[in-house]
Amino acid sequence: MSEVESRIPFGIDREVSRRNFLKTAAWTGAAFSAMGIGGFGVAVGRAQAQGEYKTYEGLGDAAILQFAYQLELLEGTFYAEGVKAGLFEDAFLEQIVAIRDHEMAHADAIATTLGQLGADVPPTPQFTFPNGAFGDAATFLELAATFEPVGIGAYQGAAPALQSKDILAAAISIHNAECQHRCAINILNLVDPPNNLAFEEALPLQKVQAAVEPFGITA
Amino acid sequence: MDKHTINVAGAQEFGRARSRRDFFKSLAVAGAGATAASMLLSGKASAQTTDLDILNFALTIEYFESEVFYPAALNAGILSADAKTVVAQLVDIEVQHRDALIDLIKSLGGTPVNRPKFAIPDYVLASEGAFLETALAQELTDVGAFLGAAPMIQSPDVLAAAGSIAGVEGENVVAVRRLLGLVPYANEAFPAAVTMEEALAELSPFVVGGTMPSTGGPKLSPEEAYRLAHL
Repeated sequence: MSEVESRIPFGIDREVSRRNFLKTAAWTGAAFSAMGIGGFGVAVGRAQAQGEYKTYEGLGDAAILQFAYQLELLEGTFYAEGVKAGLFEDAFLEQIVAIRDHEMAHADAIATTLGQLGADVPPTPQFTFPNGAFGDAATFLELAATFEPVGIGAYQGAAPALQSKDILAAAISIHNAECQHRCAINILNLVDPPNNLAFEEALPLQKVQAAVEPFGITA
Repeated sequence: MDKHTINVAGAQEFGRARSRRDFFKSLAVAGAGATAASMLLSGKASAQTTDLDILNFALTIEYFESEVFYPAALNAGILSADAKTVVAQLVDIEVQHRDALIDLIKSLGGTPVNRPKFAIPDYVLASEGAFLETALAQELTDVGAFLGAAPMIQSPDVLAAAGSIAGVEGENVVAVRRLLGLVPYANEAFPAAVTMEEALAELSPFVVGGTMPSTGGPKLSPEEAYRLAHL
């Protein structure tokens, strides 16, 4: 038993959770699994970029930020619901609260930047989450482990396509925060070692769009 | 919830130069011929830091971490089983980063910088806590140096590759924070950039004098690096 495991302040029934997760996974299957987006230790060592950023070229900084804003709201709402559902205590709760606050701070910063650019801040989408997503901690955490690589992949993919160096600097800072979240969620999922990737993966725009569409982001 | 902060006076005191003057003094003592050092110490104006300069700077850090810093901790017999698992993973990750950077530099027609001579001061390996505090400072610097350098990177392909590596350094921060008992493990909404000067200050206590090769390449004053990083 690892140190982390021995410190879990609440019971996780891994078998029940696994079955619940399979239900949610079925719901989101088309979105995540079929595209090979998963947070489960998929380690693909790649030194060279493969041009994912080209799929974001031509959108313009404002459109990229409008999309990122909705992604942040989706993540922030997801973590906020997890907190509200009372699934976590102690260090686990503190981490989920921190991630929620980070995502909302990202959304705020992006909205401010959109304002400075004279671009519209998109309305908050009507988000939909799979049944059982907030039913137990393990199901929630496994879904979190699939969310984070989408955010990472989106920022990493989009960053080289950004025109403004200021916006680039902010975007890569946010990208790094998302990577840190991925590792933190790994810790809560008892993945050992939690830093289990050598290279983060960029995602092309179309994969990100397809991944978040079932949750209510259709732009 | 209690927040556990482990204060290791030695590591914190020595991990960062106390002032700009101390920094230059420590580099001078170290013999300071590095790519990175020449980036700071030569050329005051008008020069441009190239992608290759930035990649070679990153390679210098990866040499240190993959071949010296983390292996030394594994060999020192100071790590718990939990820490050993993470540090062994850090070696594996940084080796892959080192190799990736060498490949990338060559693919751009550049020459990978030679590995400088490094040494780990005893205080860093005195205990697991002292080592982990230094490791945390090191990983935070890795993240910050990339965030500071990224806006200077010209090639989108280099930027994409560097981002892929930098994100992992961010994960390493979190893994080390967990070992230190710091909660929440991921605690920054906006991880901070550092200047090349600050990154060098972090590395300088580990550089042994006189052996760091000059590439004759980068020519950037700290002021210029800072300005470019904060456009």
